[in-house]
Amino acid sequence: MLAPYLIGLVGLVLFPAAVTLALAFTEYDLVNPPSWAGLANVSELVTDPVFRVALTNSLVFALVAVPLRVLLALGLALLLHRRSFGARPARVAALLPTAVPEIAYGLLWLWLFNPLYGPINQLLRVGGENGLTVLGRTPPQWLTDPTDARAAIILMSVFTMGETFVVLLAARRALPADVYEVAALEDATGWDVFRRVTLPLMAPVLALLVVRDLIASLHFSFVPALVVTDGGPPPYATTYLSLFIYRTGFEYLRYGYAAAATLVMMLLTVAAVVVQWRLFRRYRAFYRL
Amino acid sequence: MGGRAGGPPPLSGRIGQIWRALGALFVLLVFVPPLLLLVSGSLTEPGLPPSPTPRLIPDPVSTAGYRQALAVGGVLRAALNSLLVAVVAVPLSVLVAALAGFALARLRPRAAALVVVASLAALMVPATALLVPRFTIFRALGLTDTLVPLIAPALLGTSPLYVLVYYLAFRALPRDLYDACLVEDMTPMGIWWRVALPLVRPVTAAITALTFVLTWSNFLDPLIYVYDRDLFTLPLALRSLSVLDPTNFPVFLAGAVLATGPAVLVFGLVQRRFFHHDDQTGRNRP
Repeated sequence: MLAPYLIGLVGLVLFPAAVTLALAFTEYDLVNPPSWAGLANVSELVTDPVFRVALTNSLVFALVAVPLRVLLALGLALLLHRRSFGARPARVAALLPTAVPEIAYGLLWLWLFNPLYGPINQLLRVGGENGLTVLGRTPPQWLTDPTDARAAIILMSVFTMGETFVVLLAARRALPADVYEVAALEDATGWDVFRRVTLPLMAPVLALLVVRDLIASLHFSFVPALVVTDGGPPPYATTYLSLFIYRTGFEYLRYGYAAAATLVMMLLTVAAVVVQWRLFRRYRAFYRL
Repeated sequence: MGGRAGGPPPLSGRIGQIWRALGALFVLLVFVPPLLLLVSGSLTEPGLPPSPTPRLIPDPVSTAGYRQALAVGGVLRAALNSLLVAVVAVPLSVLVAALAGFALARLRPRAAALVVVASLAALMVPATALLVPRFTIFRALGLTDTLVPLIAPALLGTSPLYVLVYYLAFRALPRDLYDACLVEDMTPMGIWWRVALPLVRPVTAAITALTFVLTWSNFLDPLIYVYDRDLFTLPLALRSLSVLDPTNFPVFLAGAVLATGPAVLVFGLVQRRFFHHDDQTGRNRP
């Protein structure tokens, strides 16, 4: 009964991972059979400025977007975990962007961010003159200015934190009520309750979610960068590791080189998984798993 | 929904309630407009100069974007392909996940733990990290430019997460039940199909819906495996619409609405389960 799944697990994940390892040391362009290249790919990666930019972009993206996503999800979970007026539709609304197909979501923002007729800049120009905002500044050039483009990708990805939100919502609801009753008896302020009760109790879940999101960020920057900013504006402002791999492999047909870059991505993933495993072990006793 | 059991006593009573309601309103104001704009943008007349002020309801309301999207982009054909993939992949995927989850629940703990750890590891791997190796494998098998690579993830249960969810659901069933079935001389297959599966029907409903959403929205796989226009799925057709004319936004937004519709609809049908899944004990039910 387990067989189909095991075939899938081995054939679609474990074996491909092994193939990456082998492919990373070859030259392969689909036409000619792979030829052994030794460490040529690796040494080229080390000196490749584009790869370095892509790696930096990916890391910066993860370090900015992931905290924002988790903080937003936490805020929403704490705000909406109880029954109150409008909480139910608000919960659904917060989850909706996650349900929209990636590509449709990307196209939506491609339009929203358009500097001329995109709604965001139209809104920013309300009350201003000559295409300036009320404060007399030029509105952000989302698709042509490197910093604004990076901000745009981050903004897009912040909206899709639905999964994290659902998990945190469940985690918050699973907290014991009596702790809060004691806190109320002691006249604790809302901030105290958050800092001394809620946060410590949710810390394990939060830590695991942060690591998970860090890994996922390697992936969820791909479609926005491909569709909305096309890896630009020059030079490679929003070329992330995932886009670099895609371009190298599927556009420049350098599969061996792309595999070497993939290897770097997998190493990052493994590092994160190790961190996660250690966290899990530490909290295991806590959760009596 | 939330119930009193899990929540703290109301922070300063009425005032807290009002703040929470305002907060909820704010959340709605931030998260809903982008999706409304998606619909409103798709109903704009293509080719008109942009209006100087932002407006939620386009003037004039026009369905020309939809007509052009259907005419130019082969959107209809692509939608059929997407449907075909979903019809094959979704039942297969749910079947694989349910079988695997059941097998895991019945396996010796050590063997089960091994598969669970492997599943968790597979869950962690970013999808883009598997693009190149999977592609070379499918290429070697001569399966690129067919719909097979788009259906293949069903063997993984689409996401190993769903296998784990089934595992937890089947493990939560009382052990006596399985013992009773064994006394009745039922085969494992029989227990799975006639006893266990009917008991986790809500789980199956939720997982079927989520599998559909993931399969329907899959953009990455078609992007690398399919080049023949006749095999394009809807997400890929959308991409080609936007590449064709990136300035003609009503057309590609119309396509985006068509692709989003089924996903959001199915998602809406099951969303309540996400907010209830900590309620299995019933203690939090109002």
